[in-house]
Amino acid sequence: MTDDAIAAEGVELTYADGTRAVRSIDLTVPRGEFFGFLGPNGAGKTTTIKTLVTLLRPTAGSITVNGFDALREGRAVRETVGYMAQETSIDPELTARENLRFACDSYGVPRSERADRIDELLDLVDLADVADKRADDFSGGMKKRLDAASALVHRPPLVFLDEPTTGLDPKARNRLWEYFSQINDRGTTIFLTTQYLEEADALCERLAVILDGEIVSEGSPAELKREVGGEILEVDVEGDEPARQAAADIARSVDLFEPEATVDVTDGGISVTSERARTKGTDLLVALRDAGISVTGFNVRAPTLDDVFLAITGEHVETEPVDTLTADGGVPSGGLRGSSDRRSDGDDD
Amino acid sequence: MAGDAGDGVSRTRNPFVGDLWVNFVRWNIKAVRNPFVLVVSLVQPIIFLVLFTQVFGGVATGAVNQSAADISYETYLVPAICMQVALAAAATSGVGLVNDIENGMFEKVLVSPMNRTAVFLGKTAAEVVRIAVQICIIIGLGVALGAEVATGVVGALGIVGVGILFSFWFTALSNTIAVITKDQESTIIGANLLQFPLLFVSTAFLPLAVLPGWIQTVARFNPVTYGVDAARAIMLGRDVMTVIEVTAFGGIYDTLVPALAVLLVLAVSFGSVAVYMLQRASSANVQ
Repeated sequence: MTDDAIAAEGVELTYADGTRAVRSIDLTVPRGEFFGFLGPNGAGKTTTIKTLVTLLRPTAGSITVNGFDALREGRAVRETVGYMAQETSIDPELTARENLRFACDSYGVPRSERADRIDELLDLVDLADVADKRADDFSGGMKKRLDAASALVHRPPLVFLDEPTTGLDPKARNRLWEYFSQINDRGTTIFLTTQYLEEADALCERLAVILDGEIVSEGSPAELKREVGGEILEVDVEGDEPARQAAADIARSVDLFEPEATVDVTDGGISVTSERARTKGTDLLVALRDAGISVTGFNVRAPTLDDVFLAITGEHVETEPVDTLTADGGVPSGGLRGSSDRRSDGDDD
Repeated sequence: MAGDAGDGVSRTRNPFVGDLWVNFVRWNIKAVRNPFVLVVSLVQPIIFLVLFTQVFGGVATGAVNQSAADISYETYLVPAICMQVALAAAATSGVGLVNDIENGMFEKVLVSPMNRTAVFLGKTAAEVVRIAVQICIIIGLGVALGAEVATGVVGALGIVGVGILFSFWFTALSNTIAVITKDQESTIIGANLLQFPLLFVSTAFLPLAVLPGWIQTVARFNPVTYGVDAARAIMLGRDVMTVIEVTAFGGIYDTLVPALAVLLVLAVSFGSVAVYMLQRASSANVQ
């Protein structure tokens, strides 16, 4: 038995229209790891997942999943993986219980175990009370929870989760996080993509960042954060754009921070990324006051994965904090979005 | 079936028949939950049956009896309406597939270890049940309007069987259109555009001999002709086929054998294309 759940080498995928969605990806995920895959819209995350689960055939490269060659032993790969697609995939005309029964039947779950597994999963995703109602009547969040349950019915050793908690309310999201952690603790390998970077930070042991179809960085969340190059000093200033720009100019000109430090204008003021952010922060506040700029607030914080992402890819990303998800489980309007010109439209991510 | 194999990883899957059964059950549940489709594909043929017999019955009876013994237009028309029902029901098959594509179930099925041929056959089998029920309703209604099944109840079941065999090629075509277009409207329009020309340019409503020359030529290559002729031979209890002259089998079998052979070849040909399209569906856009 090999030690890797996933071993991909030189994987490329070019669509018929010439779009190179994945460019020479090398990826190894050891058995039992909780692995995160991050990238902006159109970076190639979903295309990569679809290639790994045999939905798409790579143009070049080799893929081994659970010890099976994905190109030659596709059915064996499909028997040993669970897959939760980015778009909710349930049959709206069936009840929640019937959807799970169909999933059990599809994977040949032993008949004697089906009822218990279905009940357990319905409890887990808080759908036991509506188990016999048609999924068509469910909210977006309920459908997503049902979809997650149906990907796990056959207890696969490797689960691919493509943005699994998008659209879930905090309670349901936390329940799923808990369950994903539980099944990972029991030895299940998890390959996760998410638009909530907090999610990757909370769950994943190791992350890979993909941009334009290539992995640009890999490591633990802590290692990736170190790539940012220090802590973040956020300063809110009174006034509009000219005041914020003046504050940024002062932060760049004063001899407080190392040359590698970066200064950005933000919506409310400026942001300084520096190894001296904590020690020199007050000095900057004094300099701003001396220049007649009124400071309304400041904060020094450790870098988040948002900052990591920006540092690695140069992408300006917007993230919607997880706790602002709609309470009714609806899909939030925001999320992780790349705003550079490199973002491609109409891709599957 | 569950167990450890290959790399020591736990694997689960069904035998072929199990996969077929799983899909058969799902599509039957959906049909029962959504009777609208069943009703809609029945209404038009019923309207045809009632209106054609009432409006054209007097005129058409003469044309029908030019080459046959004294039979009513109701008796002549019922086999054609049975094939129309099969055609209409088969036309909606692709719509179900498009719905599956739209709600993600298609991808979910593709990523499961189910045999893809069994997936298609299971869905088709569920549609066959629906078609059988609908043809029984049409035969019952036809009898109520005065039609006679010369071969009795066994013959009526035979007509159901012909309808089922006839539906396969169009079901396959409808699903192929669905996989190619991945769009509900295009699938409906595509299947419906074909449905009526196929019906009218065949022996469905009038005998071959009274049709214009060009229609006679087209009718010889039209699958509807073979379905209708096979069903009509059973309905009338005699050889009715005029597009192919066969005398080797005697009586009703001179129609049934060639007609069913043609329908079988069509079913296998179109079915193979549909299964092929389903199997390569997810990778269709990849170079």
